[in-house]
Amino acid sequence: MTSNSRNTTPGILMGGTPLGTVVAGSLSEGVEVKLNGDASVEDIPVGSYVVIQGETKRFFGMVSEVKLAATDARLRTMPTDLSDLFVAEVLSGTAAYGTITVRPRLLLPMVAGSDAELAPARTVPAHFARASKASDADVAQVFGVEDDRHFAVGTPLDMEAVVCLDLKAFVERSNGVFGKSGTGKSFLTRLLLIGVLQSRLSSLLIFDMHDEYGWEGGDAERGRQVKGLKQLFPAQVAVFSLDAEKAMGRPVKPDVMVEIGYSDIEPEDIMVLRETLNISEVAAESSYSLERHFGKGKWLRAFLDLEGREAIFELANAININTSALASFHSRLSNRLARLPFMVEKPSQDSVQALMDQLDKGNHVVLEFGRYGDDVPAYMLVANLLTRRIYARYRDRQISESAGKGKSTTPLSIVIEEAHRFLSPAVASQSTFGIIAREMRKYNVTLLVVDQRPSGIDPEVMSQIATKVCCLLDDERDVDAVMTGTSGSRELRSVLAGLESRQQALIFGNAVPIPVAVRIRDYGTNDSYDSLMRSPRMRKAASKADMAGEPSDARPKDDEDELFG
Amino acid sequence: MALDLYQTAAQLDAATAHVGNRGEERARHLEVALATLRDADAATLNARVDAAQGTLSFLPAEAVEDPGVTHAPGAIPDDFSVLAVDGSHIDVNRHLPLRCSLINIGGCRLTYGEAPDAHLFSSPRLRTSDAELYLADPASSASRQPVEGALMGLVRAVQETEALADAVEEAASDLPTLALIDGTLVLWELGGDRYPAYVRSQLMDYGILASLGRLRDIAQRKTLGVASYISLPNSSEVSNLLRLALCHYDPLGDCQRHCRAFIPGDRHCDDVNEFTDRELFARILKPGERSSLFASRSSVVRDSYGQHRVHFFYVNVEEEIGRVEVPAWVADSPALLELTHTLVVDNARRGGGYPVALQEAHEQAVVTGADREAFAAMVERALEGQRLPVYTSQKQRSKRQRWV
Amino acid sequence: METTSTGFTAQCYELYGAPALGSLVRVGEPAVYAIVHNVTTAALDLGRRVMARGAAEASEAAVYHNNPQIARLLATHIEALVVGHGVADALKYRLPAAPPRIHAFVYCSDAGEIAAFTQGLGYLRLLTSSSTPAIDEVIAANLRLSAECHRDPDTFRTRAGKALASELAGDVARLNAILRSIA
Repeated sequence: MTSNSRNTTPGILMGGTPLGTVVAGSLSEGVEVKLNGDASVEDIPVGSYVVIQGETKRFFGMVSEVKLAATDARLRTMPTDLSDLFVAEVLSGTAAYGTITVRPRLLLPMVAGSDAELAPARTVPAHFARASKASDADVAQVFGVEDDRHFAVGTPLDMEAVVCLDLKAFVERSNGVFGKSGTGKSFLTRLLLIGVLQSRLSSLLIFDMHDEYGWEGGDAERGRQVKGLKQLFPAQVAVFSLDAEKAMGRPVKPDVMVEIGYSDIEPEDIMVLRETLNISEVAAESSYSLERHFGKGKWLRAFLDLEGREAIFELANAININTSALASFHSRLSNRLARLPFMVEKPSQDSVQALMDQLDKGNHVVLEFGRYGDDVPAYMLVANLLTRRIYARYRDRQISESAGKGKSTTPLSIVIEEAHRFLSPAVASQSTFGIIAREMRKYNVTLLVVDQRPSGIDPEVMSQIATKVCCLLDDERDVDAVMTGTSGSRELRSVLAGLESRQQALIFGNAVPIPVAVRIRDYGTNDSYDSLMRSPRMRKAASKADMAGEPSDARPKDDEDELFG
Repeated sequence: MALDLYQTAAQLDAATAHVGNRGEERARHLEVALATLRDADAATLNARVDAAQGTLSFLPAEAVEDPGVTHAPGAIPDDFSVLAVDGSHIDVNRHLPLRCSLINIGGCRLTYGEAPDAHLFSSPRLRTSDAELYLADPASSASRQPVEGALMGLVRAVQETEALADAVEEAASDLPTLALIDGTLVLWELGGDRYPAYVRSQLMDYGILASLGRLRDIAQRKTLGVASYISLPNSSEVSNLLRLALCHYDPLGDCQRHCRAFIPGDRHCDDVNEFTDRELFARILKPGERSSLFASRSSVVRDSYGQHRVHFFYVNVEEEIGRVEVPAWVADSPALLELTHTLVVDNARRGGGYPVALQEAHEQAVVTGADREAFAAMVERALEGQRLPVYTSQKQRSKRQRWV
Repeated sequence: METTSTGFTAQCYELYGAPALGSLVRVGEPAVYAIVHNVTTAALDLGRRVMARGAAEASEAAVYHNNPQIARLLATHIEALVVGHGVADALKYRLPAAPPRIHAFVYCSDAGEIAAFTQGLGYLRLLTSSSTPAIDEVIAANLRLSAECHRDPDTFRTRAGKALASELAGDVARLNAILRSIA
C-alpha cells in the first residue's frame, strides 16, 4: 500500500501541518473542524493548539473535543476491516472522518512576527477556513519570549516552543499550585519561586514545611538532591529554622533560629487551630476570656501553668466557661503546644523583626520547620502567627505611605503549604491568610498556596486566586474546585485529566494569555542550573549589582555579611 | 385477425379424417410398389415406355440405371465451396404510379475446410425500361410480352441461373465447388404454345441454357457440380415408370383404350399409383444415400435442353427425401455426380435438413412485406422529387393505411 | 448506429471484437469521450433467431468452423455512456451540446489518452448518477483499467476511491462494493 503523506514520527504532527476545514460551530462551544484525510484524530490530543486562517483574521485556540463521524450511518453497522488498507485509506477523510472542536481564544496578527498585542477572539472563523496545527512560531508569539518580565516554565506538551509566565501579572495577585500528592508540587513551586526571585518584582516568605526550598530539596523520582534557593541565590535568601536540633546536623547552618514566645500568641492564633486541634468552638473562644482574665501576652503561660483540675474548675467558674470544655482545652494545649521546643518564655530575639529586616532589604526568607513540618498544628500556629504580625506591619506601612509618610514596601508573596487547613470555609474568615487572600493586594501582600486538596479551600478565597498551576488531580471535587469560575472548563478538565503524574501541569489564569498544559522544565542538573542562571533576569540583576557597586559574584562569607551587615 | 382459423381447423379435421381409414390397403399397395421398384429393370421399362408410343396419360422418367439401385455418398473433400443463388421479385403493380418491377437476387458462397469463409451478397435490380418490362419480338417491334405474373417468375428463374454462373466465375479459388439453385431446372411453362417462340428463345437459348453452358465451360477447368434442389418434391415420374412394370395390357400403356372406363384405383398400375416418388424412396434410401439416376422425358426438356438434358435423383437428407436435378454433363461425369450428391447431403446436414447455402441465399434474396411497402413509398418519393404527378388507386390507398 | 445526448450504440467491425467493459472510447471531432457499459452480440437480422448448434459439433470453435456463414450473420454492438468532451485544448467532464453523428468512427483510447482523461475524476459523477444496470461494475472496471495506465496505479486508485467516496458518501455499502472491486 502506498505510504500516505504523514510525517515520519508516528503520533506527532509537525507544527504548521494542515489539519482540516471549519464546517460548523459557535463562539461559546467552539468551531468544528473536519479533518483532512491525512490528519489522524489519533495525533491530535485535546489541549493541542490550533491556528485557523480565516478570511480576515487568524485565530489561535485549543482543541476541546475530538469526534469521529461518518457520512452514512450504516458505516457503524458494517465497519470496514482495517486490514483492507485500500478501502480504509479511501474512506478515511471522505466517508469516515474525524472532527475536532477548537475554541478560538486569541487573534494572532495576520502578519506573523509583528509585535501587536494579542486581542481575545470575540467571533469565529468563517466557513471553510483552514485549520492547521500551531507552529512553534505561533506559540512563541502567544506565550512570548523569556525576558526580565517573563519566566520560561516549560514547553507545551508536544512542542518545542517555550511557555512564559508573565511574572508581573503573577505577583500582582495570589496564586495557587495544586496537585495530588506526589505530583511534584514542591518541585514546581521551587521553579516558580526562582522566577519570581530573579525578577525582583516581589519578596518571598516561604513557610517551608518539609525543608525543600531552603538549602536543598529532594527529587524522589530521580533519587537525588537538588539545589534550593539558598544555593542558587546565596546573597538574597535567608534561611530561618525552627528546629535547632536538626539545624545542628547540617553542613550549612541556618541564618536565624526562630523561637516563639508564649507572649506572642494571641487568641486569634488559637482560633485558627480550632479544626486542626479539634477544639470546640466554645473552648477556642474561651481564649478571649482568658486573655481578658490574665492579661494580654500573659494569658497563655498563665493558663498552661495551671495544675490540677481544681484550678481549672475555679478558673472556669471565674470566667464563666463550661468546665469540661475548658479542661479539655487545657489538656489539648498542654499536649500539643507546651512541648514544642521552640516555644519559649522569652525568645532570644524578635523573630518577626528579624524577618522584617530581611524583607526590607529586599531579601527573601525561607522558614524551615524541620521535624515540626509534620506537626500540622505547629506549622499552622507558627505560620499564622508570624504572618499576622508581618501583615499588620505591612498594613501600617501602606497606610502611612498613602498618607504621604514612610517608605514604600516591596510587595511580599507568602508561600504556604497545606493551604486548605488555613483556608477552609470554617477557618478562612479568621486566619490571616484568608484575610490576605480576600483583600487582594491592598497592602502589597499576596499568597502562593500549595495544596493537594483544593476542594477544602473556601470558594470565595479560591475565586481570588488569579493564576492556578495544576498538576494531576483525580478527585472530582478537587477538579471542580480549581475549575470554578473558569471559562472553557470542560476541555480544561479533559486536559487536566490527561496530564502525566509528574512534570506536567496545566496553567491558567492571568499570568498566561490562554490556558496551557506544559511539560515543566528540567531542574536538578547542572545544565538546568546554568540555564536558569543565564536568564535575562539574572543579567539584569547582575547589571543592577554592578550599578550599585557591589561585586557580582559574592563568596559565601561575604553573603553572610551581606545578609546581616 | 382476418383468417378465421377455427373454421379452417374444423374443415381440415374433416378432410383428413378419412385418410387414416385406408391405412391397411395403402400399406399393401406400398409393399407391392417397393417390390416393383427393387425388381425393376431399366432396359425393360425404358423399352416399354418407348413402345407405348405416346399414348400414356402420365409422364414417366427415363431410367439411366436400374431404379432400385442406391448409392452411398462419397468422401467429403477437405476443402470445398458451396455456392447458392435465390431470387425474389416485386411484380409490376398497377396501383403504383410508375410501371416498374424489381428482382432481388441473393446468394452466398460458403467455403469449408482449413480456411472457412462465408460471402453473402444480394443485388436488387429495378426494371423500368421497356426492354426490361417487356420481352420484345426481335422480328416485329409491335409484338411484345409484358414481363409480369408467370412470365416474371420465368425471367427471375433465368436471372437466378445467370447470377449463379456469375458467382461461379467470380469465385477465384480452385476448390471443388457445388453450385446450387432452389427449385427445378425445368422451365415447364415454356412447354407447349403458351408463349411465342421468341419468348421461348430468349428465356431458353439465351437464358437458362446460356447460363448452363457457361457453367459447363467452367466445369472443364474446375471441379464444379451444378444442381437444383427441390424440397418435399411432389413428382411421380419414377412411380409412373413403375406403372409400366405392372401394366399387362396389350398394347402396353394405351391408357385411353384400356383404362378409360375404369375408375382410378381398379387399374393394374394403381398399386403404385397413389405414391409419389419421395414416398417410395423414403423406404429404400438410407440417410445420405441417393437413388439411381433418371432423366426427364418432359417435352420441353427433350425439345430444347439438348446437351443440358435435365437428369435427376432423390437423396435422403435425414429429415426428408429431396430431389436433385442436374444437367446431363454432370450426370455423365461420375466424379461430378458423386461430388454433387455428397455435397448436397453435407450441406443439408449443416442446414438441419435443407442445404444451408440455399437458406442463406434465400435470406439474402427475400423481400418482405415491409420491404414492399417501403419500395412503394420510395417510388412515390422519387417521383415527387421529379415533380411528377403522383397518384394511386383507392385500393392501394386503403391497403397502405389500414383504417378502422 | 444510434446516438443520444447521454450515450450511443456502435457496431464493431469484428465479431466479438469489442473493447472491454469499462473502456474509454473516443468518437468524432471535437472528441466526445464515452465509457463502454454494455456489449451485445446478436443476429444482424432481428427476424432470424440464433439456434443452438452444440449437439452437432464437438466444440464451440467447430460450430464457427463448420458453419462459416454464422460469423456473417451476427454482429457485436457496444453501448457507451458519454462522460466528457474536448473543448479547445481542454477536457470537460460534462455532456456535449450535440451528440456524435451516426456513422461516426469510434476509436479505443490508448494508454496515454486514458491517463490524460482520468487525471481529473469529475466524470465519475456522470457514471454514478446513471441508471444503467450494473453501472457499479462498469465503474469498477473502468477504474481498474485506468489505474494501469498511470505511472503509479496505487496512487490513482486511492485518488479515484476518494473521489467516489465524495459522490457516494451517503451510501457506504455501495461505495464499499466498488472499492473492493477496484483493489
